[in-house]
Amino acid sequence: MTLRAAETSALLISTAEAGGTAAAVTVVASPDAEVLGHRLARVRVEGTSIVHGSLGSAPLDAEAVGLMDLAIDDPRAHDGLRRVETDSGAIELYLEVRRPVQELIVVGAGHVAQPMAHLGALLGYRVVVLDDRPDFATRERFPDADRLLRVDFSDPFAEVPLHARSHLLLVTRGHKYDYECLLRALRADPAPAYIGMIGSRRRVRATYVQLVDEGIDRSLIDRIHAPVGLDIGAETPEEIAVAVAAELVMLSRGGTGRSLKDVERVSERFFKVPDEETPG
Amino acid sequence: MTHEDDRTLDEALSAAREAGRACVLATIVATRGSTPRKVGARMIVDPVTGLVGTVGGGCGEAEVIESAGRVLQTGAAERVRVDLTEDLLSWSPAVCGGIMDVFVERVSAGEDGPG
Repeated sequence: MTLRAAETSALLISTAEAGGTAAAVTVVASPDAEVLGHRLARVRVEGTSIVHGSLGSAPLDAEAVGLMDLAIDDPRAHDGLRRVETDSGAIELYLEVRRPVQELIVVGAGHVAQPMAHLGALLGYRVVVLDDRPDFATRERFPDADRLLRVDFSDPFAEVPLHARSHLLLVTRGHKYDYECLLRALRADPAPAYIGMIGSRRRVRATYVQLVDEGIDRSLIDRIHAPVGLDIGAETPEEIAVAVAAELVMLSRGGTGRSLKDVERVSERFFKVPDEETPG
Repeated sequence: MTHEDDRTLDEALSAAREAGRACVLATIVATRGSTPRKVGARMIVDPVTGLVGTVGGGCGEAEVIESAGRVLQTGAAERVRVDLTEDLLSWSPAVCGGIMDVFVERVSAGEDGPG
């Protein structure tokens, strides 16, 4: 059974959206031109793996499945060519992996939410925007968002189940609402990947006082990103969204948040004068 | 490829399939040096609606589109090596100094061929 390009693409997309991981290989070089473009896919959802399609021979399929499982298990695996030796010669496979789609939930559809939804979509997040006012979470204001919901902030996530791929940004119009949403987010199980809350140092401090009074554990409070974003001197809503986006990328890729100029010190190394021997 | 890119291409593939026509899928499968787009970038060449996505634009993409014309006719997949290392001083935005391999295949609408 051959797996077609459109079916493969649909399979990878639906698996990633369902929180699973999927890989596929396509034959891109082979002594047998007939098999060019043949595909095999591996889908893993909640620990269960299945295979779709065939490359035409059981040993080759088994080898390809092995390669796909390795890639699925290694978050650093890159999409690209894999070479497989067969009795009739070398075959090159193009291997690609799609990991679970990450979700960005922007709570509050105000000034920061607009550029944030835009940047989130650009970065590949599935963006959900929530607000309790009727005229804010609208398609005109959020053309890139996947979902726009009018919610009650006393139970904001009723229609948006939180999971380990949820990234929350709390930017409601009132600190009181941010706090209620924060409390819900901190008590969510499984815990969201990221909880960011906008606010000045003073406001954040006041929130923490309130959380401690509520009996929230220090270890949970330490998970909150507040004030939100990287320190890039952001002032405008757009700049704040960039600071948050940068923080999200930094956390997912494991960056330092520093200027690469200072991390790599190319210029410093380039102009370095060899140490002169000091006369004894 | 972001999830959105995936979805855009998937919609284009579905549209061609529903309309009952074959189109061509081009995928960057390998790169060396600096290239405008990386491994995994895709483009669909649909004989009716044109291009969806990009493999980098400029002269390199023109070579891929030329290959797509052949692939659409013959159904035989091609691997195109696009060399962007020449003319480093040219003004073309496509000049990046790298080489990329693009796999170009026909996506059939019917049941014939692997597509």
